Amino acid sequence: MSNSKQINDPVIRISGLSKTYAGSDKPAIDNLSLEINAGEVYGFLGPNGAGKSTTIRLLMNFLAPSKGYASIRGFDVTKDSLEIRKSIGYLSGDFAIYPKMTGRQFLQYMADLQGGVSMSVITNLARKLDADLNKKLGELSRGNRQKIGIIQAFMHNPQILILDEPTSGLDPLVQETFYELLREAKKRGASVFMSSHILSEVQKTCDRVGIIRAGKLISEDDIAEMTAEAAETFDIIFATATPIAELKALDGASVKRVSDKEVTVHMHGRLSPLFAILAKHEVSKIEVHNLDLEESFMHFYEKKETK
Amino acid sequence: MKPIIKWGFWQRRWSTALWTLSVVAFILLNLVFYPTFKDQAAELEKSLANIPEAAVQFLGGKDFFSPVGYLNSQVFFIMLPLLLSILAISLGSKLLANEEQNHTIESLLARPISRSRLIIGKMVIGLAIMTITTLAILISTVLITKMVSIDVPIQNIAVTTLGCFLLALSFGAIAFLLSALGKARALSLGLTSTIAIGGYIITSLATTVTWLDIPSKFFPFEYYKSELMLRGTYNWTDMLVLLTITVVCGVLAWFSFRKRDIY
Repeated sequence: MSNSKQINDPVIRISGLSKTYAGSDKPAIDNLSLEINAGEVYGFLGPNGAGKSTTIRLLMNFLAPSKGYASIRGFDVTKDSLEIRKSIGYLSGDFAIYPKMTGRQFLQYMADLQGGVSMSVITNLARKLDADLNKKLGELSRGNRQKIGIIQAFMHNPQILILDEPTSGLDPLVQETFYELLREAKKRGASVFMSSHILSEVQKTCDRVGIIRAGKLISEDDIAEMTAEAAETFDIIFATATPIAELKALDGASVKRVSDKEVTVHMHGRLSPLFAILAKHEVSKIEVHNLDLEESFMHFYEKKETK
Repeated sequence: MKPIIKWGFWQRRWSTALWTLSVVAFILLNLVFYPTFKDQAAELEKSLANIPEAAVQFLGGKDFFSPVGYLNSQVFFIMLPLLLSILAISLGSKLLANEEQNHTIESLLARPISRSRLIIGKMVIGLAIMTITTLAILISTVLITKMVSIDVPIQNIAVTTLGCFLLALSFGAIAFLLSALGKARALSLGLTSTIAIGGYIITSLATTVTWLDIPSKFFPFEYYKSELMLRGTYNWTDMLVLLTITVVCGVLAWFSFRKRDIY
């Protein structure tokens, strides 16, 4: 951080940032403002097309803003992009590869461009993530390519990590290793700006969450509030007739009848009232789905809009 | 910039070798039969006498069997410019556009390397590949002409090869400019190929169709006169035009790529 212009400034500052693509009259992001502090992990959430990737691409200076300003470590992202990129680790949403290069060759190429990267760090990261560096990238599965993407983002111990959907394609074990890498980065004071769709990931890793929709930041919240708003989905098969009226009367429940004996219940907030009803009836089978963030987003957005 | 050049060249090492070998093989196959053709020159000339003038211009003139005529018609008039131009247009439309189309450009530009250095690095790769291929062509042409007794001065072969190189380079530079402007790889490839092939047709026809005189001046092919170069009577201003097209396209490509959005 010795090169930062203002040590106490937010590490990432976005102020009134807008981007309208050529040929479009609707801004992809509109008057966006947010700040991320040193050592903070910031989750950037929103449905597809909300403007997450556009924001990230503006920070990386791949796109020029139509209006507004963004800085990283006090440096203007458009004028001082070169200086900024010395301390950034970046993973794009659709991490692209050179199919004929092996992982090792690709990482060596990236290390040559970055400068000052030790091969031992690369090897260590590869070992942690169980990445095969000797196979051609074109022969790797999406998850294994993503591991290479994570290695190239972390290999130079960057002070700032900008990660667009970093765990997409990774199996749960490798996801855990990735979270561990994030925790290590945070421990050494790195700031992380990360877009994600996965609520459990955000819960585990982020300090603060910004929610974007239609290019506007509609909320910045504590992670606990988001979790409370999240929906869980239950597919329930009753041995006898479905107590549909009781279920529909539940606060925070959205009930869909599948058949006479089967229902799907989306449940927001406390689950104990649901279980109290289930205890009164004979249940043949119950399946619980992972937290549905898309559905939670919608619920969250609706709530925010009506406020 | 060094890693861009090093790894960019590494990625194209086999295709460069293959192209170079193919072009050299093509030259060898075309020139090696010269002694046979020379012996039958009188009879072959009689059979070619009735070809219409416009068709003669597409073939590179009436002189097919003198050393200069043979070398010109078999190698330098159309086939070598065509092969080198295909290589140059392919490089020009792929070196940058492939990175952008495949999104690998994001991995490069996320590193501390300026867009200027990236684009100049890409130009250096293209120039290096073209230079290596052209040098191999020059050396092999000189050796083969000596082997089959095509008596053309080495410096004339060298100047003609240089002209061919600059012609191809100008097409490559146009393709590179189009891709630096953000045009898709296919459009860059298609538009430049149209300029190259259209230019060849218009320039060839311009010798018999007078109203094509002025339009032909807008195509690089007008400034490549292989027969005059092989005879040592070339106007160097024409070579300068080809060089200018290349440099202007290179500068415009650099300028436009520096600030535009990368999608």
